[in-house]
Amino acid sequence: MTAPAVPAAVPRLARPSARGRGDRLGNLVEVWFRAHSALVYVFLYAPIVVVVLFAFNNTQGVATRWEGLSLRWFEIALHDPVVLKSLTNSFIIAIPNAILSTIFGTMAALALQRVGKRVRLAFDGLTYMSVIVPEIVIALSTLVLFATSFDLVESITGERPKFGYTTIIAAHVLFNTSLVLLLVRARLTGMDRTLVEASADLFATPWRTFRQITFPQLLPAIVAGFLLSFTFSFDDYVITTFVSGPGSSTLPLFIFGQVKRGVTPETNAVATMILGITLLTLIIGQILLTWQSRRAGQKKGGIAAVVIER
Amino acid sequence: MYNWAAYVSPDNMEKFKTEFGVETFTYDVYDNNEVLIAKLQGGASGYDIAAPTAEYVPGMVDEGFLQKLDLSRLPNLEYINKAFKNLWWDPTNEYQVPKDYGTTGILYMKSLLSKIPQSWKEFYDSVKGEASGKTVFVDSMGDVFVFPLKMLGFSANSVEKAELDQARTILLDVAPHLYALESNVYGQYMKDKTTSLTLGWTGPLGQELKAEHDSGEAGYITPSDGTIFWLDTWVMLKDAPHPNAAYAWLNFIQEPEIQGIESNYNLYATPNDKAREFVDPAILADTAVFPPENVIASLEGSKDTSGNNQRIDIWEEFKQAVGG
Amino acid sequence: MASIAPGAPRTGPVNNRLRSNLLTTVLLLPAAIWYAVLLVLPLLIVVIFSFGTRAKNGGYTPGFVLDNYARALSKPEPFIDSLWMSAAGTIGCLLVGLPIAYFIATRAGRRKSLLILLLVVPFWTSFLIRTYAWILILGPGVGLGTFLSSLVGGGRVDLLGTPFAVLVGLVYGYLPLMLFPLYVTLERMDRTLLEASKDLGAGRWATFRQVTLPVALPGLVTGSILVFIPMMGEYVIPQLLGLGRTYLMGNALVTDFLDARNWPNGSARAVFLIVIMLVTITFYLWFVNRGRRTREVSVL
Repeated sequence: MTAPAVPAAVPRLARPSARGRGDRLGNLVEVWFRAHSALVYVFLYAPIVVVVLFAFNNTQGVATRWEGLSLRWFEIALHDPVVLKSLTNSFIIAIPNAILSTIFGTMAALALQRVGKRVRLAFDGLTYMSVIVPEIVIALSTLVLFATSFDLVESITGERPKFGYTTIIAAHVLFNTSLVLLLVRARLTGMDRTLVEASADLFATPWRTFRQITFPQLLPAIVAGFLLSFTFSFDDYVITTFVSGPGSSTLPLFIFGQVKRGVTPETNAVATMILGITLLTLIIGQILLTWQSRRAGQKKGGIAAVVIER
Repeated sequence: MYNWAAYVSPDNMEKFKTEFGVETFTYDVYDNNEVLIAKLQGGASGYDIAAPTAEYVPGMVDEGFLQKLDLSRLPNLEYINKAFKNLWWDPTNEYQVPKDYGTTGILYMKSLLSKIPQSWKEFYDSVKGEASGKTVFVDSMGDVFVFPLKMLGFSANSVEKAELDQARTILLDVAPHLYALESNVYGQYMKDKTTSLTLGWTGPLGQELKAEHDSGEAGYITPSDGTIFWLDTWVMLKDAPHPNAAYAWLNFIQEPEIQGIESNYNLYATPNDKAREFVDPAILADTAVFPPENVIASLEGSKDTSGNNQRIDIWEEFKQAVGG
Repeated sequence: MASIAPGAPRTGPVNNRLRSNLLTTVLLLPAAIWYAVLLVLPLLIVVIFSFGTRAKNGGYTPGFVLDNYARALSKPEPFIDSLWMSAAGTIGCLLVGLPIAYFIATRAGRRKSLLILLLVVPFWTSFLIRTYAWILILGPGVGLGTFLSSLVGGGRVDLLGTPFAVLVGLVYGYLPLMLFPLYVTLERMDRTLLEASKDLGAGRWATFRQVTLPVALPGLVTGSILVFIPMMGEYVIPQLLGLGRTYLMGNALVTDFLDARNWPNGSARAVFLIVIMLVTITFYLWFVNRGRRTREVSVL
């Protein structure tokens, strides 16, 4: 990918923002942007609202009809060892996966800026390849690969490695590394290099330049990559099915299996709890950080300042 | 254990754990036979027990995935009905323990139909007639082929070219009239009165359609021109790391009382005769769940015919034609 | 695409260059190992499979036949349907995603991050549960279609099973893969540029075309590839929201690998898909990049 042709050296004038000028068309565009964004959030959360509603549904089993308010499904879910185990497994797999993918992907993206054309083309090709191969194909062939290499290990050491967390994480890291790599590269491409050059001119060490200039600029992409990797691993079904072993089933596997008998409110209750905990964490974090930054007399704060803002 | 989800009563699992001191009892799930087989063929391992449908057992024996069972360690097998012994998939009963069984047939919603089809032939007319756009087939190749083949008077497991050609004509003929090809929520569509007929299994009658079934609105027909029965089985895998626990489980689960709890829990028929005493009488009396003896005798066991390319081609052609 | 390689800042002494090369290698190594072991080897396995035959009980036996490819080529319909569906899905993601990515990227810091986090939270609810919720929303009972039609006095409308339902599912499922690349590039955009452009008398459209679009382009390219390609292999959404009435490439692969347990047939189809996609992407990248002055930046 290339650097965009940004019109350089446009004189920067000290002017109030467009909105201040009573630009009616501008206001209209802004309103449209707001409305569109609000609609997108509705689109994203509409099914979630349905899920949450049905988690409180007072039915005997599978139902898609409202039959009264009840908390029983939360109780059932909290006492179901299979659900709890698979939920724990999902975290055990998704978190290391997200950390590894983010590190590997970012490292590779940085390295690709420093290599020759051939290496870069080859690497790009592989990155796209890992996205292209349909999940079921990579899942099955990865299983065959693991099984074959396990045979090999067994014949040498006499002990057979097992399918489990490691195999699942290893398989997830592939796709997610590519994801992070692409995100970070999209950010790197055409990134303002004047700062980097200035830093080098001032005889800063490369590490220092990286820490103080490059990394902060890349942070949004890195955080986005981490979030996406976590999400995809947490919710992956096909690959996990094929490379999981005894005791490493994740939540999606449990849910897919259960669908044979219909989605029960129990699974909705689990989803609701995850959602609730997430939103609660976000809100508490936001409040705490706002409070803290206010005390420190800063203008900005919130999760923003810590997580995404550069 | 590698099994279908929610297919074993949690109470029984707890009981087993305390009774036999088994501490690490893991219950992993797969959502269809194909995934189980594909995983085993790919070389997955580490499980003691799995629960494939019987038609897959010979292939699994052939591939060396299964262990021969030491029947002396499974005294409770004496309770198993003779109808489920010495069948083609396991002539010597050494590789599997019957778990539960059911049939493939026609689910209907009475008030939406002027006439309830009693055979595949009548089913064919209804699908093209009053139930057009209101019929669901389960997304399961073996089960869908039962309908045209049995209607034509052939074996449901036929791999004869001429017979399959005729079956193809019928399938492509009805495909545009289907509302969906779907195996999971077809009961719901019937409950919502979106659909009136389903080629499927009895499962939803105990679940989504329970109220309708109790009132006589929803029902299940075992077609008079014949159908297949499926039998889910317990098998022990070749490299089972805990064979003792596996034997303990296989025998434990066939204790009549335990097996009764199983039937009450998952609403499928048990092949264990003694266990019937412990099954809820209402379930036992339900001919949709427990077919009468004479019906059982007339059923054809399903076979694994997925190696037949013609079937696959027809199946794919059919899938593309579904819904017009 | 030319590059300044290696990226050491100055033509320093030899050991500096060596160190720099070493650093590059170390940075690249983990990803390279992963690609080699978990991508190249499995792909090799798929290629080998594609020339074999089905074993008696399903699976694969070694062999060298071309039948599988002949068979794959004789059934192009699912592939063509998939192409249309993925193209529509990608455009859908873009139409939905671009304005909101722009909107969020131009907010003040704190709100920006909260808004972005709120975009991924729905995806921590299992895909399957969300899709089932869509079944309810699109279905005839209490669903959207019936609601909208009742506003104009119409009756029950069942959107389930229609290509539209599949499209909604695809856009919903893949939106984050479009949003995030767009966001990370737009977020970098210098607002002063926009104002400058405006001050210089450029119209809104001209500003968008000459300032916003070039900045967003890398994200747009990455996003559309990340969305378009996995859609080609998607099979659960067409199955559930399409009620099995939409039969796409992913479904065909499932038929081969699971229903028929014919790994060679499935592999041949997959290789066919991979090759076409690779050619398409190469062409697409070439098309997007053509005529541009390349400037790869050394950031370390």
